[in-house]
Amino acid sequence: MICENCKQRPATITVTQMKNGKKTTRHFCEVCNKQLDSFHLNLDFNADPISMHKLFSNWFGTPSWSVSAPNVNEQKTQEQENCPECGMTYHQFLNEGKFNCPGCYETFKEQLPQVLKRLHNGAVEHVGKVPGSINELYQLKRQIEAIRLDMKVAIEEERFEDAAAMRDNVRSLEKKLQVGGESQDEH
Amino acid sequence: MNIEHFLHNPTTNWMQEEGQYGDIVMSTRIRLARNLTDFRFPRAFSDEEAMQIDKAVSNVLIDADDEEEQHFQFSYFSLHDMPALQRKVLVEKHLISPQLADKERVGSVLLSKDESISVMINEEDHIRIQCLQPGLQLEKAYESADQIDRLLEHHLPYAFDDTFGYLTSCPTNTGTGLRASIMMHLPALTMTNQIGSLISTMPRLGMVVRGMYGEGTESVGNYYQISNQITLGKSEKDILLDLQSVTEQIIQKETEARTALIEHASIALADRLNRSLGTLLYARILTSEEAANCLSNVRLGIYLGIIQNIPIAVLNECMLYMQPGFLQQHAGTTLQPNERDVYRASLLRERLQCNRELKKGHSDEEGEDSYDV
Repeated sequence: MICENCKQRPATITVTQMKNGKKTTRHFCEVCNKQLDSFHLNLDFNADPISMHKLFSNWFGTPSWSVSAPNVNEQKTQEQENCPECGMTYHQFLNEGKFNCPGCYETFKEQLPQVLKRLHNGAVEHVGKVPGSINELYQLKRQIEAIRLDMKVAIEEERFEDAAAMRDNVRSLEKKLQVGGESQDEH
Repeated sequence: MNIEHFLHNPTTNWMQEEGQYGDIVMSTRIRLARNLTDFRFPRAFSDEEAMQIDKAVSNVLIDADDEEEQHFQFSYFSLHDMPALQRKVLVEKHLISPQLADKERVGSVLLSKDESISVMINEEDHIRIQCLQPGLQLEKAYESADQIDRLLEHHLPYAFDDTFGYLTSCPTNTGTGLRASIMMHLPALTMTNQIGSLISTMPRLGMVVRGMYGEGTESVGNYYQISNQITLGKSEKDILLDLQSVTEQIIQKETEARTALIEHASIALADRLNRSLGTLLYARILTSEEAANCLSNVRLGIYLGIIQNIPIAVLNECMLYMQPGFLQQHAGTTLQPNERDVYRASLLRERLQCNRELKKGHSDEEGEDSYDV
C-alpha cells in the first residue's frame, strides 16, 4: 500500500480517527504523517484558549513583551467556574473583557492576578484610597502585617525584648480588630 | 436648573477661566469609577436594578444640596427623555461621555450649576464622578471629585475589595477607579513632527494619549488628551504626581518647539497662522476639520503674540460652536453635513469679525499678557 498523501512512499502508519461518530482509517508514510500530525496539532493549538487569551491581552493593548505564556491545563479548569451572582464564566470574561458584577472578582480571584498584572504594569494589589467605613479595619490589618514583619527581623537579630513588645502590640491590635469587626457587623 | 441652562451657555466654566499653563493646557479632568455592592454592572443589570441605583445615587446628591454647607446645586437629567441633539450638545461640552449619550433605556446625569462636576449614573459603571477644571489643576480637580466620593460612600455601600480596591466593570479601571486626563494643545510639536514619537513613548510611562473626546476618538485641531493607564498598585497621589510630571515635560517640549518655530521660521509661521485667521474671517464653506485646524492656528497665533485683537474666550466659544450638535442647536433645526459647513462658516465669521471690531477701539489696554512665550 502506498501513502495516501504523497502517493509515492509506502504507507507504514495507519491513522484511525473518530469524527462525528464516523470512523475513518487512513494510511500514510512516515514523512507525510509527521507533517500532517504537526498540522493537526497546530489546528488544536488555534482552537485552544491560549489564543483567546492572547487576543484578550492584545485587545487591551498590552505590549506583547509583558505576556507570559499561560498554563494550558490551568486555563481549562478556569473555564468551568461560574460566578454565582451573575452566571458569568471566566471564558466569557476573557472574550468580553468586562465583568458582569462585583461578585465576579471574588469568583475569579485566583486567575485575576495574571490578567491585572498585564493591564497594570505588574501590579495586582490596590494601594490607594479605601472607603471610609472599611478604612479603620483595613488600616488595622495593614498595621498588624507591618509589625509582624518587623517582629521577624527583630527575632533574626536576636532582639527578643523588642520582639516580645511587638508581639504584645499585635495581640492588642488583633483584639481591637475583633471588636471592630463585631461592631461593624452590628451596623 | 433646567436643561436649557446647560445647553445654551456656550462657554462653560472650564473654558472661560484660564488655569495654570493656559497657553498649552486646556483643561484637567478627573474621573472616579464606583459601583454599589449587590447590583450587577450596567452591561448586565435589569431595568429594575438600574432604577434602584439611579434613585439611590441621585437622592444622596440632591439631599446633600439641601444641607447648608453643600453648594453644588445639582440638576438631575435622565438621558431617556432627552432628545438626541441635546445629548450631543452635552457631549460636545464634555459634560457627559459619548457612551452615556448612547444609552437608550437607562443612564442619567447630575450636573452642578457651574458645570464643573457631573455625576453620571449607569454608564459603564454605576457611578462615574467627573470633575473639570481649566488649565493644569490636577489637585483641585481631584479634591472636588474626592469630596463627592466621600459624600456618596457615606450613604451607599461601595463594591470594594481589600486586594483589588474599587471593583469596576472593566479591569482597566480596577483599583483606584481613577482616570486623570489633561487636555493639551500641542500645535508646535505637531508642526515640528515630534508628536509621533511623543505618543509612542507614553505607554512606557503608563500613560495613554487620546483624541479630544476620550477613548476611541481621533485628535482634532492638535488637541491631545493625556491620561494615566494604570489604576492598580499606585495610590491616587502617585498617579496624579506622575501625570503632573509627564505633563510638565510635555509643556516644556511644546514651549521649546514654539520658541524654535519663531526663531527659525518666523515669517513662514506668521504667514500660516494669519492665513488661518483669514480663512475663518472670510471663508463661506468650512468643514469641521478645517475649522478645527484654523482655530488651532489662531490660538497659537494669539499666544505667540502674532495674532492680536481676538480674545481667547471668543476663540473657545468658537471651538464649541463649530461642532455639529451646537451648530444645529444654534440654527434651531437639523442641518445636512454640507449645510452645516456653510452655517459653520457664517457663524464663525460673524463671531470673529464682531469681536475684532470691538477690540480695535481699545486695543491699547490689552496685549501685554498675550505675549506668553
